[in-house]
Amino acid sequence: MTASALRRGVTPWLSHAALLLAFGALTFYATRIVHEEQGRLWSIAAIGFLLLAGTLASELVAPFGLPHLTGYLLAGIAAGPHALGIVDAHTVKSLSPINTLALSLIALAGGAELELGAVRKWARSLAFAIAVQTAVVFVVAAITFLLARPLIPFARGLGPWPALGIALCWAALAVTRSPSATLGILSQTRASGVLANFTLAFVMVSDVVVVVLVATVLGVARPLIDPSAHFSLDAFVVLAHELFGSVALGTTLGLVIAAYLRLVNRQMLVVLLVLGFGVSTVLDYLRFDALLTFMVAGFVVRNLSQQGQKFIHYIEQTGTVVYVVFFAIAGADLDVPLIRALWPVALILGGARASATWVASRAACAIARDPPTLLRWAWSGLVSQAGLTIGLSLVIAREFPAIGTEFRSLVIATVAVNEMLGPVLFKLALDRAGETASNRNSAFPPALVPSDEIR
Amino acid sequence: MNAIALLMGLLVLSYLGSFLVSRRSAGGLGLPSGIEYVTLGFALGPHALDLVAARDISAFEPVAQVALGWLAFGLGLDFGFANEKRVRLSRIALASFGALLTGCAVAGATGYLVQRLGVGANPTDRILLAGGVAAVCCETTRHSIAWVVGTQKVWGPLATVINDIAHADDFLPLVAVAILFALDPSQGITLPVPIRDWSLVTAALGLVLGAGAALLMRSEMPVEDTWAALFGVSLLVIGTAARLALSTLTASFFMGLAVSAFSRRGARLRAMVGPTEHPVLLPALVLAGARVDFRVTGALPWIAVVAIGVRLVTKVVLGWALAAGSRPARKAGPLVGLSLSSSGALSMCIGLAFALRFPGLVGDSVLAVAILSAVVGEFVGPARLRRALLAAGELEETSPSPEPGHVAA
Repeated sequence: MTASALRRGVTPWLSHAALLLAFGALTFYATRIVHEEQGRLWSIAAIGFLLLAGTLASELVAPFGLPHLTGYLLAGIAAGPHALGIVDAHTVKSLSPINTLALSLIALAGGAELELGAVRKWARSLAFAIAVQTAVVFVVAAITFLLARPLIPFARGLGPWPALGIALCWAALAVTRSPSATLGILSQTRASGVLANFTLAFVMVSDVVVVVLVATVLGVARPLIDPSAHFSLDAFVVLAHELFGSVALGTTLGLVIAAYLRLVNRQMLVVLLVLGFGVSTVLDYLRFDALLTFMVAGFVVRNLSQQGQKFIHYIEQTGTVVYVVFFAIAGADLDVPLIRALWPVALILGGARASATWVASRAACAIARDPPTLLRWAWSGLVSQAGLTIGLSLVIAREFPAIGTEFRSLVIATVAVNEMLGPVLFKLALDRAGETASNRNSAFPPALVPSDEIR
Repeated sequence: MNAIALLMGLLVLSYLGSFLVSRRSAGGLGLPSGIEYVTLGFALGPHALDLVAARDISAFEPVAQVALGWLAFGLGLDFGFANEKRVRLSRIALASFGALLTGCAVAGATGYLVQRLGVGANPTDRILLAGGVAAVCCETTRHSIAWVVGTQKVWGPLATVINDIAHADDFLPLVAVAILFALDPSQGITLPVPIRDWSLVTAALGLVLGAGAALLMRSEMPVEDTWAALFGVSLLVIGTAARLALSTLTASFFMGLAVSAFSRRGARLRAMVGPTEHPVLLPALVLAGARVDFRVTGALPWIAVVAIGVRLVTKVVLGWALAAGSRPARKAGPLVGLSLSSSGALSMCIGLAFALRFPGLVGDSVLAVAILSAVVGEFVGPARLRRALLAAGELEETSPSPEPGHVAA
């Protein structure tokens, strides 16, 4: 690399670092010289700062090969209540509507990226992968939890049956993945190829599997943890209502969006805002799964209408803002002292999960005779966990209030580890597989197989 | 109506507003001041039909602050430009002088009146009231000319002069707002800054962060990243100014000025931000209408009559001065100054900013005067402007522009 080329790379990096410091110093100073009187108004500055800091931090970590998501998360952690305190705990809570909006847009994008033809072609691989991943990760996670019980404060004193019940709940959560992290990485890298498409399809389909699995496990674990309770099928009736309702509403929503795109096709940003806020509120009221509903809506627009490309284009326009805000808020929401307290056990549980994911991925790909790219890298996109896992942990915590808080804390600590490492691994794999936009466009030959390898 | 329903309503308005972006200038749709949306807000609000409760409106204060800040940012970005051409310095000076003259005259008259009537608990309240009323009476809405001239492609010299003035008179009212807000600093601030310096802090906040935004956008970046940078810096300016109890309007306006001055992509940014004005403005106008309380004080009718009367007289004086120095204005006759009496978005934003910052007598009175002034301007401004342009031979009799005060379908 010549000196001038080095300068061209270093100068923007330094100016981004200087800007981040300047914005951070100013905002930090503002929080110190004024005692907060109107918390609602500070949330405006908090979003602004997270947006800026996340964008700048992502540029700062990019030269080290790290994904933008890592930058967003780091910016959130630094600004959050446990570090600089620019965004305090109250403000983080007040930003939850923004999170809801972001999640709905991410789910819409996820559904819209799924192509029916591709899913059909990979149905065999996906079926094997989901079956093997679910079984192996579930079993390994449950066993690891039981073995690590002496290290887990709230599980130490439990009898064998309640401990098994909690271990099953833990295992069900271990099976969850992060659609948002997957989409965030794909959006940043503009990756295209077998690994990118397979991971996206897997993560989206596994969302449904996870919802069913958690409901099943809750039904089984309830009598184990609470001897006075007994197994009931009521939960499955509620689950069926939730799933069918979500799919039905998602399909309707998708058709409405497709009709709008065909007949009006204007001001889609405002329409997306209305959908994000309004439909999320309706879904919350109906107790339907928002992630599944929006995902189905996106899928319908993409596959049952001619408006798919248009829709993806509109969704991509909101991409940067949505991902920065979503992950920076997630970073600010991370309970750093809790992670500090629980990191050894979180690392053990997270490590066991990652190892199980790797083994399951190799096994499933071997059985399905998948191409070498998947055999080598398919596991990498399945390590991330984020909001979905934490959301489901809340359901479990509510179900078993005696251990709920501690259980949730452990989930948050483990998710933090997976949230930080998962995106790094997935981006590394996409780079190595030659599927990221920069690699596809470079003279350097793609490391492995071309994108249309699976037929 | 709950908060979500209100939010949906505002988003729907925003949606409608985005459609008006391209149609308003084309067909005279709606009114130049947007007063019809204020009326809608008033009708729905707690002081009329009470379909939107006061506490729901308060819950939307952050939304209103963001809308105000974003509009002011757009004004700053566009300041000194009209129809994408730079306005001559002499016209900026003329516009600023006009705003200063109008503001001083209105402030003096209002100040005298509130003193005589004993309105306000203390001298600071009276200064804030008189100053706020003056600030909302200074400007001429930037849409007035486009609304009258409509689709006509070639603008004559008089239309250009008035358009330039309307585009360049925003600076002084916004500076006045910063000074007035500084008179009542937040009690929570631990930083020992003299009161007079808070207005400088307001401007500096916007300028520094605006320069930072320009630096951030120096290199080529995708459109979505540009939006992220613009939103991020804007929200930071708005939130920080709100925390320091400074004028979010002024800080954002200065941010826009700095971005426009320091960025090499000013024209592109103006083209990006410009179309967002109506989608943001309409919900803000509805919120302003919902907040206004015309019964806040018995002296309000007198204050409004005096302020608006003095405003119109000052505009006439300005028109005489304009006619003396400009040949096209001379052709239009001595009442050409009344063409500048349409007020709109900025006045209403200043009124709303006052209502948010000083709820009660001061804020509500300023907002009420802003609205009443816009209503009067709506009846006087477009009619006089149309007559002036006809007299100057710059508008054809058969021009399809609607009659003043008429809400075109």
